[in-house]
Amino acid sequence: MRIERSTEWKEGFTERLENRKEWDNWTLYQMCYDMERAKVIPEFHGLQSPKHLPNLTPYAHQLEAAETVIERMNGKAILADEVGLGKTIEAGLVLKEYLIRGLVKKALILAPASLTNQWIAELNQKFHIPAIAYNKKYNLDHCPIVVTSIDMAKRSPHKEMIYQQEYDLVIIDEAHKLKNPKTKNYEFVQQLKKKFCLLLTATPIQNDVFELFNLISLLKPGHLGNLETFQSVFSASKHHVEEDEFLKELIQQVMVRNIRHETGIEWTNRLVQIMPLDFTEQERVIYSMISKLPVSDSFTLLTLQREMCSSQLAAVLTLEKLHQTTVQPEVRFQIEEILLKLTELDIHSKSKKALELIQKADDKVIIFTEYRATQAYLQAVLHAKGITSVLFNGKFSKNKREWMKQLFQNNAQVLIATESGSEGINLQFCHHVINYDLPWNPMKLEQRIGRVHRLGQTEDVHIYNLAIQQSVEDKMVELLERKIGVFEKVVGELDHILTDGKRSIS
Amino acid sequence: MRQQEIHQYIQRFFHENKCRVLDESYDHMTVQLTIDMDKRIMNRPYYWSYVESGGVEPNPAKLTLITNPSQFSASLAGERIHFGSPRLHQLFQVTKEQGAFVQMYEKPGQNQATQVTLTPWLGVNYKITYSSDRTKEMLYSLGMNLMNGAVIDGFQESVRKLDLAPSVSANTYYLPYNIPPMRALNRLEEVMENVVNQDDHTWVDEAKQRQVRDLRVLDYFYTGVEDVPESYAMEKKAIEEQYETTIRIEIINGGLFYLKTPLV
Repeated sequence: MRIERSTEWKEGFTERLENRKEWDNWTLYQMCYDMERAKVIPEFHGLQSPKHLPNLTPYAHQLEAAETVIERMNGKAILADEVGLGKTIEAGLVLKEYLIRGLVKKALILAPASLTNQWIAELNQKFHIPAIAYNKKYNLDHCPIVVTSIDMAKRSPHKEMIYQQEYDLVIIDEAHKLKNPKTKNYEFVQQLKKKFCLLLTATPIQNDVFELFNLISLLKPGHLGNLETFQSVFSASKHHVEEDEFLKELIQQVMVRNIRHETGIEWTNRLVQIMPLDFTEQERVIYSMISKLPVSDSFTLLTLQREMCSSQLAAVLTLEKLHQTTVQPEVRFQIEEILLKLTELDIHSKSKKALELIQKADDKVIIFTEYRATQAYLQAVLHAKGITSVLFNGKFSKNKREWMKQLFQNNAQVLIATESGSEGINLQFCHHVINYDLPWNPMKLEQRIGRVHRLGQTEDVHIYNLAIQQSVEDKMVELLERKIGVFEKVVGELDHILTDGKRSIS
Repeated sequence: MRQQEIHQYIQRFFHENKCRVLDESYDHMTVQLTIDMDKRIMNRPYYWSYVESGGVEPNPAKLTLITNPSQFSASLAGERIHFGSPRLHQLFQVTKEQGAFVQMYEKPGQNQATQVTLTPWLGVNYKITYSSDRTKEMLYSLGMNLMNGAVIDGFQESVRKLDLAPSVSANTYYLPYNIPPMRALNRLEEVMENVVNQDDHTWVDEAKQRQVRDLRVLDYFYTGVEDVPESYAMEKKAIEEQYETTIRIEIINGGLFYLKTPLV
């Protein structure tokens, strides 16, 4: 066994013996020894970091997660706690522990651009870790802890600069964005050397089990076998995962997942309901006209159907575009007919329902819609009834996001957000969420609900999922249920996102 | 370290470094830094090069450190200090630079009529670090009698209780060492090595096992792949580094001690 030692002290000692330098002070000498004794890490096991962070009081599940990652998973793990349980704290604890133990000298944190500042602030303030934002002007040799976004990092010249560094720990936030191995993002992370690595995501499976395979293959290639073997076992039918228990066990070897009600923390209730609605007679007529349009592209048709379930404005915009690109006169005529009928429509029955829910709540409400047009439409509908609202979407700059959040908190009753607005904002002061349009992906529902149902929420949270009966939304509910089923089979329990089992009609 | 110990540490630190305490209570301390200390810990090289080039009156900083957050100190503009805070870490670093080598003589004590003879010792404090994907550290404080070569452990704890001074007191004289300090140092190193060699090293085997397991998993991923991509070599290197076992022996500090009290 090779033993490393340094000769530095020996040289200094020789200099003193030969009277070339002064001897040091006895008190400082003793203090130096006392300090080393206080800092000593006496055990391979256990966490040192809490001792260094007296002002941080992590929850038991967070400490346990950090310990599990280091001791059972050897520092390569997916942190998949439900939204709002503090994955960032867990990652911070792991990073801090490795820094204290000297096992990590350099770390790279990749987070969505909108969250990088939050990471830097948390690491600095809560963990005293001198993290800085990546900047190509900096010499990375002198920046031990760097935070940036994958979108930035994957591009030249940043990519090359980052690849040149030897990072001991790589942390990737919102790692579900790496589910597709054919993307540049995936490729970038794959080429990165990962001695220790944490992937953070509340939603390791969004659609199918291959996403999890891809994620784990980034972290620990081979853990789930290679693609071929994995495919042969699990591909037979995407939605009926065979050998669930076996797979689940393998996954648990690399994944920590805390769920709310097992944390021992008192959580407020999450009351989730599907609100089945009916089209009005007029709307129903238009919906069937749309469904009969001879559009060759089934995706466009599906979009139109979904938009019709959302607002006439959303449908109008797509129909107008379609009209422009259509040449057959009879189809053009059909579109014109639909457009005409749309203008005659009264307030959309779904928005009527939303309005009713808002009035009944008599409190702050967040509405999530999939369409920018619906966002504008809803604002107008609410405005007409004297209800104040602010808009929110993912394209807003960090400052604007913060400003809109302030406006919502202080001045407006309703926040109308598009899908892309559902990450990275925390709105615990609100207790009502309306999922005005359903997404294809159940995890998006979880992300949305997570904005309000997280640590710091003091009241029960009401979730209303609006779905129009006998429309494409029926099928969406069914598909969502199926995907939730897959998730629960291989990953584990999922908190209520679609319904809490007590289907109610009100 | 508890907050009280930290408070005491800071107090001694600044006292030893000739920084005047302007204001102090059980929960905080305001000190006037000396120019030297300002340069060491305030991280403002531009200011100092400006002062030194321009003949501006140097104005070293005052530092308020809050060691025991309370209602009173909440109103103070100061840095909160606790174990693990960057400022304390920095003071530790400075301490380390300033407390590495000593030469101390035991005082003869009161009513010492006859001449006192002091025996030379070499004292060295070691830190051993075992490291794989986990770490463990141990401290050893060894002393060697430079007259007869006897080695004792717990040296620091023993000399801590003695009354020592940086120069020889009157009416005492010390024996010239038989064993030159550098040779003694080499001997102590051998002692440390023996300690390490006789220790239980199952941790090395365990890390090796983890490594073998992970490498096997990785190889499995690429079985049957004809053109093994570059990422394979990189993954492999990462796993090798992750579980690489090392043992490090560091000297924290050490020095020559001339002692009247016999140590066993």
